[in-house]
Amino acid sequence: MTDAVVFPKSNSRPGLKTWSTLAGTRKRPSEYEILTYNLHARTRDPQAPYEQDPDTMMNSWYKKHVVASPLTHPDWDAFRDPDQLTYRAYTTMQDGQEQYVDGLLEDHSENGHDASLPSAWVDALARLYTPGRYTAAAGQMASAYLVQVAPASTITNAAAFQEADCFRWISRIAYRTRELANSHADRGFVTGERARFETDPAWQGIRELLEKALVAYDWGEAFVAYNVVAARAVEEACVRQLGLAARRHGDTLTAMLADNQMKDAARSRRWTAALVGQCLAVESNRAVIAGWLGKWLPLADRAIDMFCAALPESPAAGEAAKAACAGFRRELGLA
Amino acid sequence: MAKVATRDWYDIARDTNWTPTYVAEDEMFPPQFSDPYGIPLAEWETFDEPYKITFRDYVQSQREKDVGAYSVKSAIARTEFYRKASPGWKSLLQLHFGAVSFTEYGSVSAFARMSRFARAPGMRNMANFGSLDEIRHAQIQMYFAYEFIGESRAFDWAQKAVRTNNWVVISERHCFDDIEHTRDVISAAIMTNFSFEQAFTNLQFVALSADAKKYGDYSFATMLQTIQSDEARHAQIGEPLIEIMLRNGRKAEAQKLIDISFWRIWKQFSVLSGVSMDYYTPLEQRELSFKEFVKEFVGNQFLRNIQALGLEKPWYWDEYFLPDIDVYHHAQQIGIYLYRATEWWDVIAGVSPAERQWLESKYPGWNDTFGQVWDVITENILAGRLERTEPKLLPMMCNMVGFELTGVPGKKWDVRDCQVDYEGRRYHFGHPVDKWIFEQEPKRYKNHMGFIDRIVRGIVPAGPDGVFDYMNMGEADRGNCGENFAWAESYRRAAE
Ligand SMILES: [Fe+2]
Ligand SMILES: [Fe+2]
Repeated sequence: MTDAVVFPKSNSRPGLKTWSTLAGTRKRPSEYEILTYNLHARTRDPQAPYEQDPDTMMNSWYKKHVVASPLTHPDWDAFRDPDQLTYRAYTTMQDGQEQYVDGLLEDHSENGHDASLPSAWVDALARLYTPGRYTAAAGQMASAYLVQVAPASTITNAAAFQEADCFRWISRIAYRTRELANSHADRGFVTGERARFETDPAWQGIRELLEKALVAYDWGEAFVAYNVVAARAVEEACVRQLGLAARRHGDTLTAMLADNQMKDAARSRRWTAALVGQCLAVESNRAVIAGWLGKWLPLADRAIDMFCAALPESPAAGEAAKAACAGFRRELGLA
Repeated sequence: MAKVATRDWYDIARDTNWTPTYVAEDEMFPPQFSDPYGIPLAEWETFDEPYKITFRDYVQSQREKDVGAYSVKSAIARTEFYRKASPGWKSLLQLHFGAVSFTEYGSVSAFARMSRFARAPGMRNMANFGSLDEIRHAQIQMYFAYEFIGESRAFDWAQKAVRTNNWVVISERHCFDDIEHTRDVISAAIMTNFSFEQAFTNLQFVALSADAKKYGDYSFATMLQTIQSDEARHAQIGEPLIEIMLRNGRKAEAQKLIDISFWRIWKQFSVLSGVSMDYYTPLEQRELSFKEFVKEFVGNQFLRNIQALGLEKPWYWDEYFLPDIDVYHHAQQIGIYLYRATEWWDVIAGVSPAERQWLESKYPGWNDTFGQVWDVITENILAGRLERTEPKLLPMMCNMVGFELTGVPGKKWDVRDCQVDYEGRRYHFGHPVDKWIFEQEPKRYKNHMGFIDRIVRGIVPAGPDGVFDYMNMGEADRGNCGENFAWAESYRRAAE
């Protein structure tokens, strides 16, 4: 290169200590803030979020479902992900978690884990575990909706990592589905999940909850319906309680995978709590959220009951799952 | 028991469609987002991504990629490098980071729309990686820009551009909002993944990376390369969709999507990459001319791809696109230099005697056309009449592209102004193709105020600083001549 030449200093445009948008902050901005804060174009002009005719399909959609949402806040960009996740931090963290899961799968496979499972529990897995990839797929879609409509880039990114977590569990359940089919042919693994999800009574409450949450297009309601209610119900019933039942039946692998999935769930809950906390700082939001909870909680409780009733030897599962969901809402100040 | 091979479970992870019954199918997948073409679900479910990767392998390979990309040089070494870099290279970095970072971030949401509304589970999964990739691209570029923020305020624009009404940014938003963000996911994917990413990102991320390597900017070169490796993967969402469209009698629609988006993206890249490569990159480090890069990446590769799919080259290819490669960015370069105060980066003339010789050799006829305008600019600078190099008159701007209306000046003066009168308003276009795009769907584009429209209608505040205030450009945000006019001195020496 040409570093021998010294060029005249062309002008005086002194640099800055940090982005001008963060100049007023007291603390030194973190890498997370530098790379995440205040990046949306669509929140710029409420008349025309997108740079085209103000009444195009997408402008109308955004104005109706985001700008005019009953959930309001003067500064959505004030939201911060408590985990301060950047892309690099996310891939590093999940590479570590996936390595751990690889290890779990290998150990159990070497020990002939699947072949040693009680026959009745194998049927329970076919009925109650492997159809779970549809719930993860619904979570992927619900999260993806938040990504594209959220009114702050800090919310968008938290939702995007949540979406990726769902994809993670679609993938791991798919892996397990094939592995279980390999040691237990004729139990409906691989071939039977869709029918289970669509018709088995155990799944119908969950499916109704998720389908309805997916068409809650107001961005605030979409967040409350999925992040506050539906995701939590699915986790407590189809992950935690299923994992506990698995342990009781000697299925340590399903139990440990459930534990690992609950780590992703815990992270989702942390940012959900942070965003709900931000919402509640605006008085009018409390009634708005309460209204939505009134609509969504009965569906969720019913979904939990229907699923947990099918869990073998788990008479207390439904109550425990509902109590855990209620506990989460209490933490959020919503009880 | 051994590990289950990926091929044995991969299909299960993209067998995630169920039939909703508690809500209507059209409510869960509204046609306006999911499929305005009315193609049967079973057809969409044949979607097969050519490039397959699992979540597990993705997080591992991406983590490793970042370990490499972030650590080519230390922050101190990079700042040192920047200080010593030539004005042209500095300007190129300032322009790149301000113009590119926010469009990358925008793409996060475009892919998320696919992950929500696409009927094909494989497409939803691939788009999920796409959203993650675009977070990566926004963050790594902002990270590198941030290292230079102490050196020049221009790098603030890597963060703030998106929220401003700077005229360059309005132009970018108008284009990318059109093709990526405001259509159903099938159309948006064909326009974004096929026309934009597969056809054009090579220019900014492979060709520019070659220049960067030659210049010795290894951090920038490596960063660009790793971005392109992600682009090359998620860009492949486009082709299978086109195949499905064709199989279902929607060839004309697919063709039109490509014709519109290819031109829209061309205009953006022509200016961004064209000016960077043919004027800002120091002469000794230019790998190829912009035109040569376009011929290779777009003229050959894109054309091959499109024909392999059974589509035609865009209708304007021979008549308008090929000639435009010779002129558009040269014409825009003049306006960009003159209106430098309205841009966040320091502009570079790039027309010293040696550079003009190179331009003439790569673009025969350049001297007799664009060169004539530069003759006048050069004379004014040498005579100390700098004020004459900063026009006070408002330019006419294209209501589609958002850039100045330009043609070929000099001996073959030919400024095109195509007009459309629609619902009582006159729209101006820089090119017959821009006008054609407007006419395909006037409802999409009408009532949008271009930058000049906003001035004329008083949306931009009056007064000498009104335009700058409107663009959120304080004094220190405004671009200067990156060489402080030293380039013109070489003509004085030559004359003496
Ligand atoms: Fe990108
Ligand atoms: Fe991309």
